[in-house]
Amino acid sequence: MEAPPVTMMPVTGGTINMMEYLLQGSVLDHSLESLIHRLRGLCDNMEPETFLDHEMVFLLKGQQASPFVLRARRSMDRAGAPWHLRYLGQPEMGDKNRHALVRNCVDIATSENLTDFLMEMGFRMDHEFVAKGHLFRKGIMKIVVYKIFRILVPGNTDSTEALSLSYLVELSVVAPAGQDMVSDDMRNFAEQLKPLVHLEKIDPKRLM
Amino acid sequence: MGVTCVSQMPVAEGKSVQQTVELLTRKLEMLGAEKQGTFCVDCETYHTAASTLGGQGQAGKLMYVMHNSEYPLSCFALFENGPCLIADTNFDVLMVKLKGFFQSAKASKIETRGTRYQYCDFLVKVGTVTMGPSARGISVEVEYGPCVVASDCWSLLLEFLQSFLGSHTPGAPTVFGNRHDAVYGPADTMIQYMELFNKIRKQQQVPVAGIR
Repeated sequence: MEAPPVTMMPVTGGTINMMEYLLQGSVLDHSLESLIHRLRGLCDNMEPETFLDHEMVFLLKGQQASPFVLRARRSMDRAGAPWHLRYLGQPEMGDKNRHALVRNCVDIATSENLTDFLMEMGFRMDHEFVAKGHLFRKGIMKIVVYKIFRILVPGNTDSTEALSLSYLVELSVVAPAGQDMVSDDMRNFAEQLKPLVHLEKIDPKRLM
Repeated sequence: MGVTCVSQMPVAEGKSVQQTVELLTRKLEMLGAEKQGTFCVDCETYHTAASTLGGQGQAGKLMYVMHNSEYPLSCFALFENGPCLIADTNFDVLMVKLKGFFQSAKASKIETRGTRYQYCDFLVKVGTVTMGPSARGISVEVEYGPCVVASDCWSLLLEFLQSFLGSHTPGAPTVFGNRHDAVYGPADTMIQYMELFNKIRKQQQVPVAGIR
Protein backbone atom coordinates (compact mmCIF):
# COMPACT_ATOMS: atom_id res chain seq x y z
CA MET A 1 0.00 0.00 0.00
CA GLU A 2 2.85 2.37 0.77
CA ALA A 3 3.65 4.79 -2.05
CA PRO A 4 6.19 3.31 -4.50
CA PRO A 5 9.90 3.85 -3.78
CA VAL A 6 10.66 7.48 -4.33
CA THR A 7 14.46 7.66 -4.37
CA MET A 8 14.64 7.62 -8.11
CA MET A 9 11.61 9.76 -8.76
CA PRO A 10 12.32 13.43 -8.20
CA VAL A 11 8.87 14.46 -9.35
CA THR A 12 5.65 12.53 -8.93
CA GLY A 13 2.31 13.90 -9.94
CA GLY A 14 3.56 17.47 -10.15
CA THR A 15 5.17 17.63 -6.71
CA ILE A 16 8.83 17.18 -5.82
CA ASN A 17 9.59 14.22 -3.55
CA MET A 18 11.71 15.42 -0.68
CA MET A 19 14.04 13.03 1.08
CA GLU A 20 15.51 13.34 4.54
CA TYR A 21 19.13 12.25 4.90
CA LEU A 22 19.98 11.44 8.50
CA LEU A 23 22.97 10.61 10.68
CA GLN A 24 22.59 10.08 14.41
CA GLY A 25 24.77 9.76 17.47
CA SER A 26 24.76 10.66 21.13
CA VAL A 27 26.90 12.27 23.83
CA LEU A 28 26.80 11.93 27.59
CA ASP A 29 25.65 14.99 29.54
CA HIS A 30 29.13 15.92 30.72
CA SER A 31 30.45 16.11 27.14
CA LEU A 32 27.73 18.47 25.97
CA GLU A 33 29.66 21.70 26.46
CA SER A 34 32.67 20.63 24.38
CA LEU A 35 30.39 19.44 21.59
CA ILE A 36 28.45 22.73 21.55
CA HIS A 37 31.73 24.62 21.54
CA ARG A 38 33.00 22.71 18.50
CA LEU A 39 29.70 23.04 16.67
CA ARG A 40 29.69 26.78 17.26
CA GLY A 41 33.06 26.94 15.59
CA LEU A 42 32.22 24.69 12.62
CA CYS A 43 28.72 25.86 11.84
CA ASP A 44 27.27 29.01 10.30
CA ASN A 45 27.69 32.10 12.40
CA MET A 46 24.41 32.95 14.09
CA GLU A 47 22.93 33.60 17.52
CA PRO A 48 22.88 30.36 19.50
CA GLU A 49 19.44 28.92 19.02
CA THR A 50 17.70 26.76 21.60
CA PHE A 51 14.33 25.09 21.31
CA LEU A 52 11.72 23.46 23.49
CA ASP A 53 9.29 21.35 21.50
CA HIS A 54 6.43 19.03 22.33
CA GLU A 55 6.01 16.20 19.84
CA MET A 56 3.08 13.79 19.57
CA VAL A 57 3.15 10.71 17.39
CA PHE A 58 -0.16 9.63 15.86
CA LEU A 59 -1.05 6.30 14.28
CA LEU A 60 -3.80 5.39 11.85
CA LYS A 61 -4.56 1.70 11.87
CA GLY A 62 -6.01 0.19 8.74
CA GLN A 63 -6.21 -3.16 7.09
CA GLN A 64 -2.50 -3.01 6.31
CA ALA A 65 -0.13 -4.58 8.80
CA SER A 66 1.77 -1.37 9.43
CA PRO A 67 -0.11 1.67 10.68
CA PHE A 68 0.38 5.09 9.10
CA VAL A 69 2.54 7.30 11.33
CA LEU A 70 2.36 11.09 11.53
CA ARG A 71 4.34 13.36 13.85
CA ALA A 72 2.82 16.57 15.16
CA ARG A 73 5.24 19.01 16.74
CA ARG A 74 4.64 22.33 18.43
CA SER A 75 7.00 24.89 19.88
CA MET A 76 6.54 25.50 23.60
CA ASP A 77 8.75 28.57 23.71
CA ARG A 78 7.83 30.43 20.53
CA ALA A 79 4.31 31.78 20.72
CA GLY A 80 2.50 32.00 17.42
CA ALA A 81 4.70 29.56 15.53
CA PRO A 82 2.68 27.16 13.37
CA TRP A 83 2.44 23.50 14.28
CA HIS A 84 4.60 21.17 12.25
CA LEU A 85 3.20 17.96 10.81
CA ARG A 86 5.68 15.45 9.44
CA TYR A 87 5.41 12.23 7.51
CA LEU A 88 8.49 10.01 7.29
CA GLY A 89 8.55 7.07 4.93
CA GLN A 90 10.39 3.78 5.29
CA PRO A 91 14.17 4.08 5.01
CA GLU A 92 15.30 3.37 1.46
CA MET A 93 17.33 0.23 1.56
CA GLY A 94 19.77 -0.79 -1.06
CA ASP A 95 22.94 1.19 -1.57
CA LYS A 96 25.29 0.11 1.21
CA ASN A 97 27.71 2.80 0.07
CA ARG A 98 25.23 5.52 0.87
CA HIS A 99 26.50 7.09 4.07
CA ALA A 100 23.25 8.36 5.52
CA LEU A 101 19.81 6.99 6.26
CA VAL A 102 17.47 8.17 3.49
CA ARG A 103 13.71 8.36 3.76
CA ASN A 104 10.89 10.18 2.05
CA CYS A 105 9.62 13.11 4.05
CA VAL A 106 6.70 15.50 3.81
CA ASP A 107 6.69 18.59 6.05
CA ILE A 108 3.53 20.60 6.52
CA ALA A 109 2.93 23.75 8.57
CA THR A 110 -0.55 23.79 10.07
CA SER A 111 -2.91 25.75 12.28
CA GLU A 112 -3.26 25.01 15.99
CA ASN A 113 -6.22 22.65 15.79
CA LEU A 114 -4.02 19.92 14.30
CA THR A 115 -4.57 17.33 17.04
CA ASP A 116 -8.36 17.71 16.92
CA PHE A 117 -8.23 17.35 13.18
CA LEU A 118 -6.04 14.25 13.26
CA MET A 119 -8.41 12.61 15.77
CA GLU A 120 -11.33 13.42 13.47
CA MET A 121 -9.44 11.71 10.63
CA GLY A 122 -9.17 8.59 12.76
CA PHE A 123 -5.60 8.94 14.07
CA ARG A 124 -4.91 8.06 17.69
CA MET A 125 -1.96 9.33 19.73
CA ASP A 126 0.59 6.63 20.33
CA HIS A 127 3.12 8.49 22.46
CA GLU A 128 4.46 11.95 23.14
CA PHE A 129 7.64 13.55 24.45
CA VAL A 130 9.32 16.88 25.01
CA ALA A 131 12.58 17.73 23.23
CA LYS A 132 14.84 20.45 24.57
CA GLY A 133 18.12 21.43 23.00
CA HIS A 134 20.23 23.40 20.58
CA LEU A 135 20.00 23.98 16.86
CA PHE A 136 22.88 24.67 14.44
CA ARG A 137 23.06 25.08 10.68
CA LYS A 138 25.78 24.66 8.09
CA GLY A 139 24.54 25.45 4.62
CA ILE A 140 21.67 23.05 4.02
CA MET A 141 22.70 20.78 6.90
CA LYS A 142 20.88 21.00 10.18
CA ILE A 143 22.45 19.79 13.40
CA VAL A 144 20.33 19.34 16.51
CA VAL A 145 21.60 18.36 19.94
CA TYR A 146 18.70 17.64 22.26
CA LYS A 147 17.49 15.78 25.29
CA ILE A 148 14.28 13.78 25.30
CA PHE A 149 11.94 14.07 28.26
CA ARG A 150 9.24 11.58 29.07
CA ILE A 151 5.86 13.12 29.89
CA LEU A 152 4.64 11.66 33.18
CA VAL A 153 0.99 12.67 32.94
CA PRO A 154 -0.48 12.48 29.41
CA GLY A 155 -1.10 15.97 28.10
CA ASN A 156 0.73 17.73 30.91
CA THR A 157 4.01 19.08 29.60
CA ASP A 158 5.03 20.59 32.93
CA SER A 159 5.86 17.33 34.66
CA THR A 160 8.58 15.66 32.66
CA GLU A 161 11.51 13.44 33.40
CA ALA A 162 14.68 13.03 31.34
CA LEU A 163 14.78 9.76 29.44
CA SER A 164 18.53 9.29 29.74
CA LEU A 165 21.76 10.90 30.91
CA SER A 166 22.70 11.80 27.34
CA TYR A 167 21.89 14.07 24.46
CA LEU A 168 20.82 12.87 21.04
CA VAL A 169 22.76 14.39 18.15
CA GLU A 170 21.22 14.43 14.68
CA LEU A 171 22.67 15.70 11.42
CA SER A 172 20.02 15.97 8.72
CA VAL A 173 19.37 17.43 5.30
CA VAL A 174 16.06 17.64 3.48
CA ALA A 175 16.68 17.64 -0.27
CA PRO A 176 14.89 16.58 -3.46
CA ALA A 177 15.11 12.89 -4.34
CA GLY A 178 18.08 11.70 -6.34
CA GLN A 179 20.76 13.95 -4.83
CA ASP A 180 22.97 11.37 -3.21
CA MET A 181 26.08 13.55 -3.09
CA VAL A 182 24.42 15.18 -0.08
CA SER A 183 25.31 12.16 2.04
CA ASP A 184 28.99 12.56 1.12
CA ASP A 185 28.97 16.15 2.41
CA MET A 186 27.29 14.92 5.57
CA ARG A 187 29.90 12.24 6.09
CA ASN A 188 32.70 14.77 5.67
CA PHE A 189 31.13 17.04 8.28
CA ALA A 190 30.58 14.15 10.65
CA GLU A 191 34.32 13.34 10.41
CA GLN A 192 35.08 16.76 11.88
CA LEU A 193 33.01 16.00 14.96
CA LYS A 194 35.00 12.90 15.87
CA PRO A 195 35.97 11.89 18.50
CA LEU A 196 33.49 14.05 20.46
CA VAL A 197 30.57 12.25 18.83
CA HIS A 198 30.31 9.46 16.29
CA LEU A 199 27.50 10.12 13.87
CA GLU A 200 26.40 7.11 11.92
CA LYS A 201 23.59 5.67 9.87
CA ILE A 202 21.40 3.80 12.31
CA ASP A 203 18.88 1.40 10.84
CA PRO A 204 15.76 1.59 13.05
CA LYS A 205 14.80 -1.97 12.17
CA ARG A 206 17.97 -3.35 13.72
CA LEU A 207 17.00 -1.82 17.05
CA MET A 208 13.68 -3.63 17.35
CA MET B 1 -9.69 38.71 5.81
CA GLY B 2 -12.81 40.76 6.49
CA VAL B 3 -16.29 39.41 7.21
CA THR B 4 -17.48 37.50 4.17
CA CYS B 5 -20.82 36.21 2.96
CA VAL B 6 -20.96 33.41 0.37
CA SER B 7 -24.29 32.71 -1.28
CA GLN B 8 -25.84 31.18 -4.33
CA MET B 9 -27.48 33.20 -7.08
CA PRO B 10 -30.27 31.26 -8.75
CA VAL B 11 -30.15 31.14 -12.55
CA ALA B 12 -32.55 33.71 -14.07
CA GLU B 13 -35.79 32.44 -15.67
CA GLY B 14 -35.19 31.42 -19.23
CA LYS B 15 -31.52 32.32 -19.14
CA SER B 16 -28.34 30.23 -19.00
CA VAL B 17 -25.77 30.23 -16.20
CA GLN B 18 -23.41 32.33 -18.28
CA GLN B 19 -26.08 34.90 -19.12
CA THR B 20 -27.05 35.27 -15.46
CA VAL B 21 -23.40 35.78 -14.52
CA GLU B 22 -23.15 38.47 -17.20
CA LEU B 23 -26.27 40.21 -15.87
CA LEU B 24 -24.75 40.31 -12.38
CA THR B 25 -21.34 41.52 -13.48
CA ARG B 26 -22.90 44.23 -15.63
CA LYS B 27 -24.85 45.45 -12.58
CA LEU B 28 -21.64 45.54 -10.57
CA GLU B 29 -19.81 47.48 -13.26
CA MET B 30 -22.63 50.01 -13.42
CA LEU B 31 -22.35 50.46 -9.66
CA GLY B 32 -18.72 51.43 -10.24
CA ALA B 33 -16.89 48.26 -9.28
CA GLU B 34 -13.44 47.66 -10.82
CA LYS B 35 -12.44 44.32 -12.28
CA GLN B 36 -9.38 42.97 -10.47
CA GLY B 37 -8.33 39.63 -11.90
CA THR B 38 -9.89 36.24 -11.42
CA PHE B 39 -10.44 33.82 -8.58
CA CYS B 40 -10.91 30.12 -8.10
CA VAL B 41 -12.12 28.03 -5.16
CA ASP B 42 -12.09 24.26 -5.51
CA CYS B 43 -13.08 21.33 -3.35
CA GLU B 44 -12.21 17.64 -3.41
CA THR B 45 -14.00 15.06 -1.35
CA TYR B 46 -12.37 12.13 0.44
CA HIS B 47 -14.03 9.40 2.40
CA THR B 48 -12.51 6.96 4.84
CA ALA B 49 -11.72 3.70 3.09
CA ALA B 50 -13.81 0.75 4.27
CA SER B 51 -10.67 -0.95 5.59
CA THR B 52 -10.04 1.73 8.21
CA LEU B 53 -13.55 1.58 9.63
CA GLY B 54 -13.15 -2.01 10.80
CA GLY B 55 -13.67 -2.26 14.52
CA GLN B 56 -14.23 1.44 15.11
CA GLY B 57 -17.93 1.12 14.49
CA GLN B 58 -18.31 4.62 13.09
CA ALA B 59 -19.87 5.60 9.80
CA GLY B 60 -17.43 6.77 7.12
CA LYS B 61 -16.77 10.47 7.38
CA LEU B 62 -16.39 12.88 4.49
CA MET B 63 -13.33 15.06 4.44
CA TYR B 64 -13.15 18.07 2.15
CA VAL B 65 -9.83 19.43 0.91
CA MET B 66 -10.20 22.91 -0.52
CA HIS B 67 -8.06 25.58 -2.09
CA ASN B 68 -8.71 29.31 -2.49
CA SER B 69 -6.77 31.43 -4.97
CA GLU B 70 -6.93 34.28 -2.44
CA TYR B 71 -4.53 32.20 -0.30
CA PRO B 72 -2.39 30.46 -2.92
CA LEU B 73 0.06 28.89 -0.46
CA SER B 74 -2.62 27.36 1.75
CA CYS B 75 -4.77 24.30 1.76
CA PHE B 76 -7.94 23.94 3.84
CA ALA B 77 -9.09 20.55 5.11
CA LEU B 78 -12.42 20.22 6.84
CA PHE B 79 -15.06 17.89 8.14
CA GLU B 80 -18.73 18.84 8.10
CA ASN B 81 -19.55 20.12 11.63
CA GLY B 82 -15.95 19.41 12.50
CA PRO B 83 -12.65 21.24 12.73
CA CYS B 84 -11.17 23.10 9.75
CA LEU B 85 -7.42 22.71 9.40
CA ILE B 86 -5.38 25.36 7.61
CA ALA B 87 -2.15 23.92 6.25
CA ASP B 88 0.37 24.67 3.53
CA THR B 89 0.18 23.10 0.08
CA ASN B 90 2.26 20.08 1.12
CA PHE B 91 -0.97 18.79 2.63
CA ASP B 92 -1.95 17.70 -0.89
CA VAL B 93 1.22 15.62 -1.08
CA LEU B 94 0.28 14.00 2.23
CA MET B 95 -3.17 13.10 0.88
CA VAL B 96 -1.43 11.23 -1.94
CA LYS B 97 0.49 9.21 0.67
CA LEU B 98 -2.75 8.52 2.52
CA LYS B 99 -4.31 6.99 -0.61
CA GLY B 100 -4.95 3.67 1.04
CA PHE B 101 -6.84 5.17 3.97
CA PHE B 102 -8.75 7.98 2.28
CA GLN B 103 -10.28 7.47 -1.08
CA SER B 104 -10.87 10.45 -3.28
CA ALA B 105 -14.32 10.55 -4.80
CA LYS B 106 -12.95 11.77 -8.13
CA ALA B 107 -16.31 12.49 -9.68
CA SER B 108 -17.27 14.93 -6.98
CA LYS B 109 -14.49 17.49 -7.52
CA ILE B 110 -16.29 20.82 -7.66
CA GLU B 111 -14.98 24.33 -8.26
CA THR B 112 -16.06 27.89 -8.84
CA ARG B 113 -14.21 30.28 -11.11
CA GLY B 114 -14.91 33.86 -12.04
CA THR B 115 -13.96 37.52 -11.77
CA ARG B 116 -13.00 39.61 -8.76
CA TYR B 117 -14.49 43.07 -8.41
CA GLN B 118 -13.32 45.75 -5.99
CA TYR B 119 -15.92 48.32 -4.95
CA CYS B 120 -14.52 50.64 -2.27
CA ASP B 121 -14.13 48.41 0.80
CA PHE B 122 -16.06 45.52 -0.70
CA LEU B 123 -14.53 42.66 -2.64
CA VAL B 124 -17.09 40.85 -4.77
CA LYS B 125 -16.46 37.55 -6.51
CA VAL B 126 -18.99 36.12 -8.93
CA GLY B 127 -18.18 32.61 -10.07
CA THR B 128 -19.60 29.79 -12.14
CA VAL B 129 -19.77 26.56 -10.15
CA THR B 130 -18.76 23.58 -12.25
CA MET B 131 -18.54 19.86 -11.69
CA GLY B 132 -16.48 18.37 -14.47
CA PRO B 133 -17.62 19.86 -17.75
CA SER B 134 -21.06 21.01 -16.60
CA ALA B 135 -21.97 24.36 -15.06
CA ARG B 136 -24.15 23.74 -12.02
CA GLY B 137 -24.78 27.18 -10.53
CA ILE B 138 -23.51 30.58 -9.56
CA SER B 139 -21.65 31.58 -6.40
CA VAL B 140 -21.47 35.12 -5.07
CA GLU B 141 -18.92 36.04 -2.41
CA VAL B 142 -18.88 39.49 -0.82
CA GLU B 143 -16.17 40.52 1.63
CA TYR B 144 -16.20 43.68 3.70
CA GLY B 145 -12.48 44.21 4.27
CA PRO B 146 -12.26 46.65 7.19
CA CYS B 147 -14.26 44.60 9.70
CA VAL B 148 -13.55 41.20 11.22
CA VAL B 149 -16.42 40.90 13.66
CA ALA B 150 -19.63 39.67 12.04
CA SER B 151 -22.10 41.36 14.36
CA ASP B 152 -20.50 44.77 13.77
CA CYS B 153 -21.02 44.89 10.02
CA TRP B 154 -23.69 42.39 9.01
CA SER B 155 -26.33 45.08 8.44
CA LEU B 156 -23.94 47.02 6.21
CA LEU B 157 -23.09 43.90 4.23
CA LEU B 158 -26.78 43.07 3.90
CA GLU B 159 -27.55 46.52 2.53
CA PHE B 160 -24.79 46.21 -0.05
CA LEU B 161 -25.92 42.73 -1.05
CA GLN B 162 -29.45 43.99 -1.57
CA SER B 163 -28.21 46.74 -3.88
CA PHE B 164 -27.15 44.29 -6.54
CA LEU B 165 -28.74 40.93 -5.65
CA GLY B 166 -32.18 42.37 -4.97
CA SER B 167 -34.64 39.68 -3.97
CA HIS B 168 -31.96 36.99 -4.06
CA THR B 169 -30.18 38.44 -1.03
CA PRO B 170 -29.32 35.66 1.42
CA GLY B 171 -29.86 35.56 5.16
CA ALA B 172 -27.00 35.65 7.70
CA PRO B 173 -24.60 32.76 7.06
CA THR B 174 -24.75 29.97 9.63
CA VAL B 175 -21.03 30.32 10.37
CA PHE B 176 -21.77 33.62 12.11
CA GLY B 177 -23.79 31.45 14.44
CA ASN B 178 -24.09 32.37 18.07
CA ARG B 179 -20.55 33.65 18.50
CA HIS B 180 -21.26 37.09 17.10
CA ASP B 181 -18.21 38.59 18.71
CA ALA B 182 -15.72 36.05 17.42
CA VAL B 183 -13.08 37.19 14.94
CA TYR B 184 -13.93 36.11 11.39
CA GLY B 185 -11.28 34.12 9.53
CA PRO B 186 -10.59 32.43 6.19
CA ALA B 187 -11.69 29.06 7.61
CA ASP B 188 -15.21 30.49 8.02
CA THR B 189 -15.27 31.42 4.32
CA MET B 190 -14.20 27.91 3.32
CA ILE B 191 -16.95 26.42 5.49
CA GLN B 192 -19.46 28.60 3.66
CA TYR B 193 -18.14 27.42 0.30
CA MET B 194 -18.33 23.80 1.46
CA GLU B 195 -21.98 24.26 2.42
CA LEU B 196 -22.69 25.95 -0.91
CA PHE B 197 -21.01 23.19 -2.91
CA ASN B 198 -22.91 20.52 -1.01
CA LYS B 199 -26.17 22.29 -1.68
CA ILE B 200 -25.40 22.59 -5.39
CA ARG B 201 -24.32 18.96 -5.63
CA LYS B 202 -27.70 17.88 -4.36
CA GLN B 203 -29.60 20.14 -6.73
CA GLN B 204 -30.95 19.00 -10.06
CA GLN B 205 -28.52 19.47 -12.91
CA VAL B 206 -29.00 22.82 -14.68
CA PRO B 207 -30.73 22.30 -18.07
CA VAL B 208 -28.53 21.76 -21.16
CA ALA B 209 -28.66 25.45 -22.16
CA GLY B 210 -26.40 26.23 -19.21
CA ILE B 211 -23.43 24.27 -20.49
CA ARG B 212 -22.40 26.65 -23.20
